[in-house]
Amino acid sequence: MTTLRVPLEGSLRYRGREGQWAYLLHRFTGLGTLLFLTIHILDTSTVYFAPGLYEHAIAIYRSTPFMLGEIALVFCVLYHGVNGLRVAAFDLRPAWWREDRQRSSFWWVLGLSFLLWLPAAFLMGRSLILNNFGGA
Amino acid sequence: MTAPSDPSAPLRAGYAQGASVRRVERPKNFETTAWLFMRYSGLLLIPLVWVHVLIQDVLVGVHAIDLDYVALRWATLGWRVYDIALLAFAFAHGMNGLRNVLNDYVRGTRVRRALDWLLLLGWLVISAIGAVAIVGGVQSP
Repeated sequence: MTTLRVPLEGSLRYRGREGQWAYLLHRFTGLGTLLFLTIHILDTSTVYFAPGLYEHAIAIYRSTPFMLGEIALVFCVLYHGVNGLRVAAFDLRPAWWREDRQRSSFWWVLGLSFLLWLPAAFLMGRSLILNNFGGA
Repeated sequence: MTAPSDPSAPLRAGYAQGASVRRVERPKNFETTAWLFMRYSGLLLIPLVWVHVLIQDVLVGVHAIDLDYVALRWATLGWRVYDIALLAFAFAHGMNGLRNVLNDYVRGTRVRRALDWLLLLGWLVISAIGAVAIVGGVQSP
């Protein structure tokens, strides 16, 4: 397990602050989205291969834990996109790759992602409450 | 004018003059192509994924989605093309991202090569399954 332990310990010891957080969050949101996407391709494919199974899959997605996961997924997709734009923009102007700009830009990215996410989270949260917790 | 106690001052001064920006020849190999693919597909995926998520997850919602809904949507050729593009670009972008992450942590060349082949196979098989479903369309249960 040394192949995994060394980089993980190094990552904990390296205190890169905002730049490192931006990078870690980019990885986690990317991997999380990929995990969902893989499942999503396979469950949607049942409409052709096994249509009877599709309703079961949708029933799982309608459960409260999955709807909460869906709200988190929307944040992942928003952050990953906004931060990806930041990285691409910085690469166009390499002189921007400075500690102070990394710091401030991470908070801008996080703030913008959060602002985009709020209305989506509100609508999805409302749907969750109305449908799963017996709105009149 | 630069404070001598700031170790990054010469670097910043160099950046300001554009002197420290290293320019290298880009080798024409697979990794360069993969990197460019990540950039361009990433840019494309921002409108593609965000619009998909906005419509299906936020506005329509999973409680309104069933077989009939998918059949109705796929009755429009444009949405099938849209979904094929999503499948092709998003899944390739994600699987190559996973390859990049694994390549950061897996040191052994042989294990890494085996994982790369496994990812390639998984990518092809799952992409094919999704593509067949989109082209084949909704069947009656």
